[in-house]
Amino acid sequence: MRQITYHIHRFNEGRAYVQSYTFDYEADRTILWGLQKIKDTLDPTLTFVAACRSAVCGACSVKVNGQAMLGCEAKIDEITERFGSDEITVAPIGNFDVIRDLVVDWEAKVSRLKEVAPWIFVKPEFTTKTGTRQTAADFKKFVMNTECILCGCCASECNKLSANREDFLDPYVYTKANRFVMDSRDVSPMAHTTPAFNHGLWKCVHCMNCITRCPKHLKPEKDISNLRRVATEAGLSNKGTRHAIAFKQDLLKTGRLNEVTMSLKTDGLLDSAKQGLYALRLWKHGKINPFELVVPHKPVNGIEGVRTIGRAVEEAGK
Amino acid sequence: MKYGFFPGCVLEGASKEDYLATVAVAKKLGIEIQELDGWTCCGASHVQDIDPLLTLSTNARNIALAEKEGLDILTVCNTCTLMLREAKKELDEHEVTRQKVNNILGEAGMNYKGTSEVTHFLWVLIREYGLDNLKAKVTRPLTGLRVAEYYGCHILRPEEEMGFEDMQIPTSLADLITALGATPIDFSRKLDCCGFHAVYPAHDSVMQMTGSINADAQKEGADCVVTPCPLCQMQLDMFQKEAKATVPMNGDMPIIHMSQLIGLALGCTPAEMGMTDRHLASTASLNRFL
Amino acid sequence: MEQYDVLVVGSGGAGQRAALEAARRDGLRVALITKIFPTRSATAMAQGGVNAALNNVAKEDSTEVHTFDTVKGSDYLGDQDAIEFFCQRCPEGVLEMDFMGTPFSRTDEGKIAQRNFGGQSYPRTCYSADKTGHVILHTTYEQCLKEGVHFLQEWYLLDIVVKDGKAGGAIIWNMKKGKVEIIKAKSIVLSTGGAGRVFWTRTTNPFLSTGDGMAVAFRAGVGLKDMEMIQFHPTGLGKTGILMSEAVRGEGGYLLNVEGERFMKKYAPNKMELASRDVVAKAIEDEIAAGRGFNGTGLDAYVVADLRHLGPEVIIEKLHGIRDLALCFEHCDPLTDPVPIRPTCHYIMGGIDVVDYKTCATEIPGIFASGEASCISIHGANRLGGNSLADGVVFGKVSGAGAADYAQASTFADCDAELQAKAEEWEAKFVEVTSRTSGRPVAEIRDELAVAMWNKVGIFRNEAGITEALEVIERLTKEYETCYVGDSNRTYNMAFVNYVEIKSMLTVAKAIALGALNRKESRGAHVREEFPKRDDSQYLKHTIWKLGANGEYEMSERDVVFTKYEPQERKY
Repeated sequence: MRQITYHIHRFNEGRAYVQSYTFDYEADRTILWGLQKIKDTLDPTLTFVAACRSAVCGACSVKVNGQAMLGCEAKIDEITERFGSDEITVAPIGNFDVIRDLVVDWEAKVSRLKEVAPWIFVKPEFTTKTGTRQTAADFKKFVMNTECILCGCCASECNKLSANREDFLDPYVYTKANRFVMDSRDVSPMAHTTPAFNHGLWKCVHCMNCITRCPKHLKPEKDISNLRRVATEAGLSNKGTRHAIAFKQDLLKTGRLNEVTMSLKTDGLLDSAKQGLYALRLWKHGKINPFELVVPHKPVNGIEGVRTIGRAVEEAGK
Repeated sequence: MKYGFFPGCVLEGASKEDYLATVAVAKKLGIEIQELDGWTCCGASHVQDIDPLLTLSTNARNIALAEKEGLDILTVCNTCTLMLREAKKELDEHEVTRQKVNNILGEAGMNYKGTSEVTHFLWVLIREYGLDNLKAKVTRPLTGLRVAEYYGCHILRPEEEMGFEDMQIPTSLADLITALGATPIDFSRKLDCCGFHAVYPAHDSVMQMTGSINADAQKEGADCVVTPCPLCQMQLDMFQKEAKATVPMNGDMPIIHMSQLIGLALGCTPAEMGMTDRHLASTASLNRFL
Repeated sequence: MEQYDVLVVGSGGAGQRAALEAARRDGLRVALITKIFPTRSATAMAQGGVNAALNNVAKEDSTEVHTFDTVKGSDYLGDQDAIEFFCQRCPEGVLEMDFMGTPFSRTDEGKIAQRNFGGQSYPRTCYSADKTGHVILHTTYEQCLKEGVHFLQEWYLLDIVVKDGKAGGAIIWNMKKGKVEIIKAKSIVLSTGGAGRVFWTRTTNPFLSTGDGMAVAFRAGVGLKDMEMIQFHPTGLGKTGILMSEAVRGEGGYLLNVEGERFMKKYAPNKMELASRDVVAKAIEDEIAAGRGFNGTGLDAYVVADLRHLGPEVIIEKLHGIRDLALCFEHCDPLTDPVPIRPTCHYIMGGIDVVDYKTCATEIPGIFASGEASCISIHGANRLGGNSLADGVVFGKVSGAGAADYAQASTFADCDAELQAKAEEWEAKFVEVTSRTSGRPVAEIRDELAVAMWNKVGIFRNEAGITEALEVIERLTKEYETCYVGDSNRTYNMAFVNYVEIKSMLTVAKAIALGALNRKESRGAHVREEFPKRDDSQYLKHTIWKLGANGEYEMSERDVVFTKYEPQERKY
């Protein structure tokens, strides 16, 4: 008889340990089914939460072999085949405080969600009596984001959150903010964008874990990107903004980036001067060439075409 | 075997060593790489944040340069690969977008057709060239060299755009390292982000990320870290000293690009690949394996 | 001991809508408790839509037609005054949700899109692709965050204390801390959802739907009404029972038996697949019983829903969530394969006896109920698709307003001692039951209950079967007294929560079986094999079960309220 073993990362009242459970294999079963089987027949103390078991409520997200997913959606057959083993590691999702075993603390996340005013500021022409109006095309622009089920998978392996949770919000929070920014019925996109800008918007490192983890195929990293655009167009600027603008300017000026002026534009003269010693080391190793300050790159072949494209893009945006 | 080479900006500047290594290695392997004339910055995961259409259009132009030559594009940078593939996917899958972008390119007398693929050197070696053929070219097996396989992000994620291998259990780098006679070191941070793209706005977090990767590689007994991406390489190398303040570690951990590692096994000298003077974390410790 | 003017229990569409309404009143302290994070509720699973006669698609539609459709759908067991009240408020309820940001699909004019649904005269069901419940739930949550509704999450209701015939407060298990909490409240709204889990795996309901609010209300002295009225959704996925929305039929999917025949033509020649849910569910079971299903005639049998003729555009645009479900849980792609389906327990029309539909008040002053936990009764013997989200939206608000009005006009009951005593009783119970080292495991009791309920009190019922089920329930209730919980930890003790849930399920299951035994007719979702006809002469009345002084279930009856719709035979 084929058997499946779960190595479960458990945690209770300050004690963290791994406990293994083995049970009979059954075809077409989910990771959640295995957890329920363990609780029902092997160990009633094993603790996890689940509700809909059909991938719409977001309760049962766990880390399976290091990757966050919904327990109710993850197939034992697929996991064992993919990883080539009937032994499966199950752990609580990352970047959350663990309450017990696989149960994490969502309550602490609510205040973070609230930061971006995750509710509509509805346009004044609409009333409770009339409801709202929206074209089908405008509906399409944001409806994907409303599929977020707050399962936390996008946050689980977010590298920025892992490095520091304080100065960055969970990816789904930015997705929620962008949901309203993109909703034609919302009168105040900046009410969502400004707090996002003030709380880590430019600190995303583009590790792309959020995109690969989302069970609803949402793209929080793209939402962050769009919020950055909206913030920039509204004149909100920080190091991240200046860095991106410097790239764009180089792209249109010579076609390629100039690493020396990049630092100046991003950090400002003072910060750059502070890094003078560091810059000297970089120069010594050939990493930067300060002469590029005075003698810039030669523009690429066809730079006129690039600039023409730049102007056409600007036209198209109007 | 011929490709349109897209070096990316840093290979012209801070990571010239990777340019030297890639050109040298391609020559030894008999892979013809012809640098695309007039290529521009891919946007580097930055420009799309403030101007997505400009990024899409200039990358359409980059790909169109290769189309004109009838070549597929070869890159040696994770982020360039992602940015170009992302643009290609968008253009190939959305007729309306393609038309819009072609109208823009038309102003500059160019046109995107979708006939050129975008690939990474690592993928070419595995899927097109063959690791057995690579192995046959090895003149200096790197026996005993313990190489931490560091993938970084964009060569694996998003899977939808990249999809060369399972993003959670990739083997390409380990297979390459093995083919070169060295020993791959699997380490817990091999899929983590180096932080490069937010080094300015999220400096402290990025130092934590950079430092953790280097320290973890050292803990696992690696002699060096190899990466398929010059941005990861720059980050782990140039900021190594600074990151030690956040995550302590002893001495230097050499950070080399996969082209350099291949070059060593094919008999290139460290000097001709910029390894003697262009690295901040000294690579001298690797000489004992040569 | 905490103190709130209004305490809402349950964070589904109804509960959050209630809390929102009460929280908008100046000077009221409102709290909402829920046994899980607020957006995990069963409401999130509702796919198809929410009914309101908005006339965005069908100009001929009206609240009167909606009323008639609902009355007819209820097989004349719904109270017609309540149904009128309800249907008149659906447009306002839906437009309010729209105003609060719910992303509804749109018509060409930019109005809320509406689709056909089973048992309805016109396309009346407002929708957001096929995740309408999800977006409504998230909208209410957003608004509750905006209004600063005080959520006490992972607080699990154990009991309500009634003093001098009125609500005094609630005893609650703080799951995270593992301790008994007391909330003193003037009014309490029970919006705790359904009880489909009495059938354990043969239900569309989430693990949460264990009838907690019903059981607590019953212990507090409130009646449970029309509990035998349980809807079996015709299109559950074959293997898992997971809901596949009515949109499958609404958008034009065919139901086929093993012979490839659109068998609904024999059961509802006009409406075909769009006949009401009970008609379709019965037809499928008849086909399977007659050997015309796939995979035999046992519990694994099924018929199929064929969507292929709708084409990729419709399937991908309008039914993509359904396609995902089929791909994920049934390993089949509706674009290329028919999807195995079988009825599954979906909704309980019965529930906590609400005696005033204008406030959602129960017989006990200060206790209110709304949503699936309640029986108002607007669904009667069979609920129309799209009427449950509407129920949540409309009566959630009504119950919140009712509870707020009551709280503003009343004072706290003087019941500290009673609350304290009850809390101590639960604390002692926790210690006792979690320290047991033997006994029948809770999961075994749960499973045996489910098998008995599915086989004997499921879609087809008869006296012998129901009697057997009642015997099983009695025996399991005894075994429960000494059952094995197996976890004595304080922090997040789900084994203890499950233990309390099984008690709720046993309590509710008995009311369901007793109701089924008593009603010697077939009406709506309730089918008695010995009495295949509806019997208006005897059963145009609600049956209500209350806890008697000696612990027995005592039955009383109340006439169905008629306004202008005389009972007719239901034909679709």
